[in-house]
Amino acid sequence: MTDPAGSTAGPAGAPLIRVDRLTKTYGPRTVLSDVTFDVGPSEIVSIVGPSGCGKTTLLRCIAGLTAPNGGTVSISGRTVTEPPEGVGVVFQHFGLFPWKTVFGNVAFGLTVLGMERREAARRVHELIAMVGLDGFENSYPYQLSGGMQQRAGLARALAIDPTVLVMDEPFASLDAQTRDLLQLEMLRILEHRPAATIFVTHSIDEAVLMGDRIVILAGRPSHVADIVDVGIPHPRGREAVDSERFRVVRDYLWSVVMKDQAVPGTTRDRGDSESADRHHERTGE
Amino acid sequence: MAGERMNALTLNRRGGRARNSPDAGGAAPEAESRRERVQVLLARIIAGLALLVIWQVCAVTFAPSYIARPIGILAQIPSVVGSEQFLSATGSTLLAVIEGLAIAIVLGTAAGLVMGRLRDIDRALRLYVDSFYAMPIVALVPLLTVWFGYSPTARLVVVVMEAVLPVAFSVAEGGRTLATEFTDVARAYRAPWWRVWLGIALPASMPYLLSGVDLAIGRALVGAVVAEFIASLNGLGYFILFNVRSFHEDAAMVALIVLVVFALVLRGLVTLTVRRALPWYRAR
Repeated sequence: MTDPAGSTAGPAGAPLIRVDRLTKTYGPRTVLSDVTFDVGPSEIVSIVGPSGCGKTTLLRCIAGLTAPNGGTVSISGRTVTEPPEGVGVVFQHFGLFPWKTVFGNVAFGLTVLGMERREAARRVHELIAMVGLDGFENSYPYQLSGGMQQRAGLARALAIDPTVLVMDEPFASLDAQTRDLLQLEMLRILEHRPAATIFVTHSIDEAVLMGDRIVILAGRPSHVADIVDVGIPHPRGREAVDSERFRVVRDYLWSVVMKDQAVPGTTRDRGDSESADRHHERTGE
Repeated sequence: MAGERMNALTLNRRGGRARNSPDAGGAAPEAESRRERVQVLLARIIAGLALLVIWQVCAVTFAPSYIARPIGILAQIPSVVGSEQFLSATGSTLLAVIEGLAIAIVLGTAAGLVMGRLRDIDRALRLYVDSFYAMPIVALVPLLTVWFGYSPTARLVVVVMEAVLPVAFSVAEGGRTLATEFTDVARAYRAPWWRVWLGIALPASMPYLLSGVDLAIGRALVGAVVAEFIASLNGLGYFILFNVRSFHEDAAMVALIVLVVFALVLRGLVTLTVRRALPWYRAR
């Protein structure tokens, strides 16, 4: 693990999610190679990397939606082979059912769990209020803006009271202003009810703002180029992005990403094996 | 194959209609949209009257006197509509079509979901269902009258066979194209298979189902009328046949008009259902 400015923050407590030498291939193409990291019970780990680097694939493996070809994901010590209990997933495309109202969508996970109707309704209303969708219970997704749709997506994920929250570029398809707002609200929500959170993004700024640690994916196939401690204290607000620490971490991330971009310049095969070697040296495997 | 193409067409058509309809725009002011609607209505009435006049003039000028003409039909309407024979024929046919459509919707939706969601079954049965769809089902009517007798049951079977295929094809298409974004959500939240089928595949296929029903209505009417022709069953089809054979073309025409109006009303109901029950689909 690298720390750009010498702070000593590490994963809080024993890891809840453990990704161990994960490898995923699609046909002849290896997308993820030997990815290893873990996430503490109330830690937010950002995963950052360029588009097409396999971030979403990694997240799908963790959520049990895609089976890896090698290595394992374990949550609370149990190997993930199918979508595990207690995992809330937030999708980039929101994934709301267009024929259900906000209430119906938020209640989906609880309905599947078979929660008693009145208890579920109480919980759903509470979460709808928490994400700021009061008064929109009976609206359909098409009647809401993108930001409001993703708020409903968040509420649905939180409704099942998840121990693990996986978020796949949740704010990537929103406009900049809405994105800024939702980032801070998400941080506030996670301070109230923490979960082991995996936050996938292609935005370095967003990775730093949201994450306690950042896993940088790079290369072809993607491997863990570095894991960085952010070390900005909670609660974080808008002012976090103006802090010296934010700038240091962001610049460090950029340097890692740029370096890895430069490697496969000459011939692709050489670049690949080189970056893989460097990874092995660094991780000592 | 043919089914898919037709479904795509009807879906597009409905989508287009929704987009162009005055109340969907939102940008057009209320008054302007009302004026537009009045203009469309006027144009339709004028075109209809023009067609009737051309028919009347041509029939009077060129055709023998027993050929039906608009004024004669109009004069016949009160006596035909009042006759017990006509009322019983109308009730018989319309009930058979509604009953057959209801059965076809249930069977077709179930079959369509199975074909759309279970790829192995779809692969095994596709060729046969395609052949069944391509076959003119009216050619089966003589056989069916042997199997089920010259009875309303035979007619009902014909109606169901005609109507079930477009419904099943459409729903299967909807099930096949069910977006992975929906199935991913279902899997991530650990929904059991039956909830995926009834709670996700079925509502997601509703627009497809309704476009299938739209096609099924016309086919169901054809089936009912042909079955009545061949089996001499009480109904509008037989009413038409009987009256034409006894040179009462005007009376036959009245029955024909009832069939047309019935088809239009049923298809109107489908459009209305799309608007009322599937607001999310129209807005997409």
